[in-house]
Amino acid sequence: MSRSANTGDRGRAGSEVPDRDIERGPAIAVRGLSKSYRRMAAGFKMRTLKSAFLERSLTSGLSDAETIRALEGVSFDVPPGEAFGVVGGNGSGKSTLLKVIAGLLRPDQGEVVTDGRVAALIELGAGFHPEISGRQNISINGTVLGLSKKDIEERYDSIVEFSGLADYIDEPVKTYSSGMYVRLGFAVAIHTDPDILLVDEVLAVGDEEFAHRCLKRIEQHLAGGGSLLVVSHSLTLIEDLCDRCLWLERGRMREIGEPRRVIDAYRQAVAEAEGRAHREDLERATTASGVPGEGAADENDRWGNGWASITSARLLINGKEQYHLESGDEAVFEIETQAHRPLEDVVFGIAISTPRGIECWGTNTDIEGLDIGRFEGSGRLQLCCPALRLGAGEYSVDLAVHARDGTPYDYRRDLLQMTVGQRERGVGVYLPEHDWKLSGGLKQATGSKGSRCEDGVASSGATEYAEDSPGTDRSPKTPGRDRS
Amino acid sequence: MLQTLKTLVRFRSLLGSLTARELAARYRGSALGFLWSLVNPLMLFGVYAVVFGVILEARGGSSTDPYPLFLITGLFPWIWTSASLLEGAVSLSANAGLIRKAVFPCEVLPTVVVCANLVHFLLALPILLIALGWGRFEGADVLGPATLLLPLVVVLHFVLLVGAAMGLAALNVHFKDVRDLLGNVLTLLFFLAPILYALADVPNEKLQTLVRFNPFTPFALGYQSLLFRGEPIGWELWVEMSGLALAALFLGTLIFRRLEDTLVESV
Repeated sequence: MSRSANTGDRGRAGSEVPDRDIERGPAIAVRGLSKSYRRMAAGFKMRTLKSAFLERSLTSGLSDAETIRALEGVSFDVPPGEAFGVVGGNGSGKSTLLKVIAGLLRPDQGEVVTDGRVAALIELGAGFHPEISGRQNISINGTVLGLSKKDIEERYDSIVEFSGLADYIDEPVKTYSSGMYVRLGFAVAIHTDPDILLVDEVLAVGDEEFAHRCLKRIEQHLAGGGSLLVVSHSLTLIEDLCDRCLWLERGRMREIGEPRRVIDAYRQAVAEAEGRAHREDLERATTASGVPGEGAADENDRWGNGWASITSARLLINGKEQYHLESGDEAVFEIETQAHRPLEDVVFGIAISTPRGIECWGTNTDIEGLDIGRFEGSGRLQLCCPALRLGAGEYSVDLAVHARDGTPYDYRRDLLQMTVGQRERGVGVYLPEHDWKLSGGLKQATGSKGSRCEDGVASSGATEYAEDSPGTDRSPKTPGRDRS
Repeated sequence: MLQTLKTLVRFRSLLGSLTARELAARYRGSALGFLWSLVNPLMLFGVYAVVFGVILEARGGSSTDPYPLFLITGLFPWIWTSASLLEGAVSLSANAGLIRKAVFPCEVLPTVVVCANLVHFLLALPILLIALGWGRFEGADVLGPATLLLPLVVVLHFVLLVGAAMGLAALNVHFKDVRDLLGNVLTLLFFLAPILYALADVPNEKLQTLVRFNPFTPFALGYQSLLFRGEPIGWELWVEMSGLALAALFLGTLIFRRLEDTLVESV
């Protein structure tokens, strides 16, 4: 077992830590890690070289204005056998963290100690030479990743089989598609038998079939006691795969712990940020023009004769203003409206559509038989949906106030934008409550967790489905890793 | 320096495969393949032999033996030198993808370039020896028992190149100017080295001192002594060559070690 440390301590980087008779500690121990990058502005060249030469660092001696903090005070442990996920927006320091753990980058402060053989799947197929064959590249890439000639010979067949590229293995890799490139890269990397696997967003590249094969292999790696650190924007992947999760924000640890909780908190923050941006947009639009047909509002987005206007609208999810919801959440569309003259003939309408213009749902007060009667001054209207079961995606909402014959007083297109996430599988824009029932020759296999129809009671619901990982092909799990 | 050497020895199989890759990739898809490694130096040799030997009537010093034989003994080692340094200087920047994504000892990359060009040199060596052998058969006083010491010179030359390529490669990551600067410096060094002319034929004493200070000069003199004149090398020259080789290795690895930590971020 090789223990190695990557420290901010100049001059003893990559030093092998003597393997004393200690109990097996964490597979990855990250302690107070900080890392800055230098801004690539012109004019620092000579100084940079000097500091690189004397201090072995590009950033020492630079002021804060000249550097960018990628990581700040990050600490955590990954015990052997654990799957650890890292989430965060672009530029939050996820990849830097991975590269420091892999030993590619030197931290400015703090240290990383890894216990065991590390394989970093960062950009697969990096270092493949385009002119030579897949076969030759396997042996060179394997050597780069630390395999001996004998190791490579032994594993060669298995690598080719895993990659599924047997027919093309003697062609120069410049003829490969990008997907084939990644397949070969993953196949070689996974065959280095790592104790610690570092994965950066690579599963997104291959096709579905290959992604499944990779996941299966990663599960095997975990089942065999290996550790995993995965960085991904696919929150469902992290939620399904990981035992613990870290949320990085601008290089700092925002939350760490049970993936479900951390990811929900992350989603919530994203939704709040989107909501803020959306409210600002709304404010700009409403202050620009209180009445349709006047001011700067785009004619394509707003029209009507101005007898009444929709002054603002908000979306309340589970009682809180936000513009992201999970499918099945309670949603309330709240409309503030004002009549500019007394009206006897008022209808309020709503239409929800996808960005490509597919109308998912539309209704108004008139067709549903709600007679408003006389309307003067201002008022508030709420449309409540106890469970808005839209499929995952983006939606925009049109709101209008008009006469029964359709004459618009104020029609506001795309007034609200919202994003919907979904925890259950299934595709489309609508996810009705449902269940499967089997009878006759059809029986549910024992151990299957697909259906939960007992005594004919349909009990499917988004939140309940999310409790266990979808019953597809997510094979072996060690007892210790089973979430109940 | 020792740490770098240890790394190179530890990763010798990687060094071997990467050198093989370099060689395999270079001639892949060309009809003449490996023959190009012979054709290229021969072309250059032909041009210089005609221009300097026939048109300008250059002579290989006091020796009366044919000028082309003098020229070829200095030219082939020079081609190894200049190709190694030019390609070596960009070896890290050219493999940025690999360096940034795989944990991997970067010092092998400049070394691979020197090794690949050593292979070319060794492949061209038989031509050189055949030419000299034929000259001897025709009555020229070339080659001799001292020629057997050639591997020693090649080893020292190799050490010099590995050190220089390593330092240049690391510097070039931070300063892309290195490559262009190097092109000019190499041209200068070529004409200031006793390759096209013999050291004794340099008329001006100051100029002769300048040529004497060219780091390639001792090696040119060494090759010429063993191959063209077939005479043993004096101990002063051995000391000079060893000193230069070790100095280059020391300095090159020092620069490399110092810049190593910042390579991944800068490349």
